[in-house]
Amino acid sequence: MENIIKALQLNLIKDNRYIYLIDGLKNTMIITLFATIVGIVLGLLISLIRTTYDNTNGLKNSNAILRVLIKFANAICQLYITIIRGTPVVIQLMILFFCIFTSRNASGVLIAIIGFGLNSSAYVAEIFRSGLMSIDQGQMEAGRSLGLSYLDTMRLIIVPQAFKVVLPSLCNEFIVLIKETSVAGYVAVQDLTKGGDIIRSRTYDAWTPLLIVAGVYLLLTCIFSAFVKKLEVSLRKNERTN
Amino acid sequence: MDKLLEIKELCKSFGDHLVLDHITTDINRGDVLCLVGPSGGGKSTFLRSLNLLEMPTSGKIYFEGTDITDPKTNIDNVRKKIGMVFQHFNLFPHLTIMENMTLSPINVLKLSKDEAESKAKELLNRVGLMDKKDTYPNMLSGGQKQRVAIVRSLMMNPDVMLFDEPTSALDPEMVGEVLDVMKELAKEKMTMVVVTHEMGFAREVANRVAFLDQGQFAYENNPDKFFKDPNNERLKNFLSKVL
Repeated sequence: MENIIKALQLNLIKDNRYIYLIDGLKNTMIITLFATIVGIVLGLLISLIRTTYDNTNGLKNSNAILRVLIKFANAICQLYITIIRGTPVVIQLMILFFCIFTSRNASGVLIAIIGFGLNSSAYVAEIFRSGLMSIDQGQMEAGRSLGLSYLDTMRLIIVPQAFKVVLPSLCNEFIVLIKETSVAGYVAVQDLTKGGDIIRSRTYDAWTPLLIVAGVYLLLTCIFSAFVKKLEVSLRKNERTN
Repeated sequence: MDKLLEIKELCKSFGDHLVLDHITTDINRGDVLCLVGPSGGGKSTFLRSLNLLEMPTSGKIYFEGTDITDPKTNIDNVRKKIGMVFQHFNLFPHLTIMENMTLSPINVLKLSKDEAESKAKELLNRVGLMDKKDTYPNMLSGGQKQRVAIVRSLMMNPDVMLFDEPTSALDPEMVGEVLDVMKELAKEKMTMVVVTHEMGFAREVANRVAFLDQGQFAYENNPDKFFKDPNNERLKNFLSKVL
């Protein structure tokens, strides 16, 4: 017991080392939050392009310009998903950091947001696509025959239903994302993991900072899961039978 | 006669399979046209072509004088005047009954929420489902769902209503309540095109009954002649099986 208190004192209190963890946690949360937003927005866009292309046979009944446009967009999206899913996220981050944003003032956090956001969007796109495809074709037909445009039908009828379907896999994707941000240290971001690293290098104690860092990640993912569970219940209110 | 829909040489094929084979007919304002025939005969495909849920392979469809098969025609503007009722209701499960009914009037006709809701209440009262307005579709019986689907279409003030086997997915005891709503509509001179297996309904309500077989209007007549004295071997054969 005394040893534990001593270890905590050494790793957290002495020289205000806990600040490394607080700052790191802040960065981890900022990166996760904004990467999530980038991932969802971009992922939804990609999935809509892919689904539209598949469902309408490449907009078979529209004019030539739109047909070429959607075909091109669909090809780009497919290529994008192949490349992003087929390469490690650390490599993508390092390419962004060392090859593309080479300016000295480029912020590591911003690059991490872009990197993790782009990476996540490829997975989110496929998750959304599976959700959009799972909605009965009759829903689109009902919307269109009421005079709603394709985009309005998507926005008001298909996407809300698909969102409910994909929520569990989406939740899973973001739990993965929270943990994946732990490689942000590779591009000079001081995130939670890096914070723990710094403390270890000062105190030569590996156990304490690593266990604390692991505990914080676990706490984060648990809080997030609980929040999603609540959201799921409220979205499912129309499925109750009384 | 006031022609609402003119169908000229309408063809539709899926791959090599010709489902509609050069159909030409007119549908006049106030017509109640029932389409009967064997499955695979093209009834549903014909009906779904009328609001371009199926894109014709060739031929023309004019709605109130506009060629709707012309790619330049804004199909959304046409569809808001053509109501459609589906076999499987296709209510929006994530919206309440009230929201199901007001979604399109608010977004397409730009009615205010109040206007749309008061109109919806009026229609729900008519079909006796006012008490269901705040519930979700999955809490309704099949018959109730279909009645909601009908009044949801009526919210748009359509000039014609298309019914795609509206009672085929219903338990037998619920067929009557849906047919009653449709009879009411016919009485109010709504133009209706109905794909149905309810021969009693066709006989009682329709002014025209057509037999769709092998992609063609193989026989068409008023219900009296159609059922009593059809001058067509395939139709006689069909009727002997279903009556």
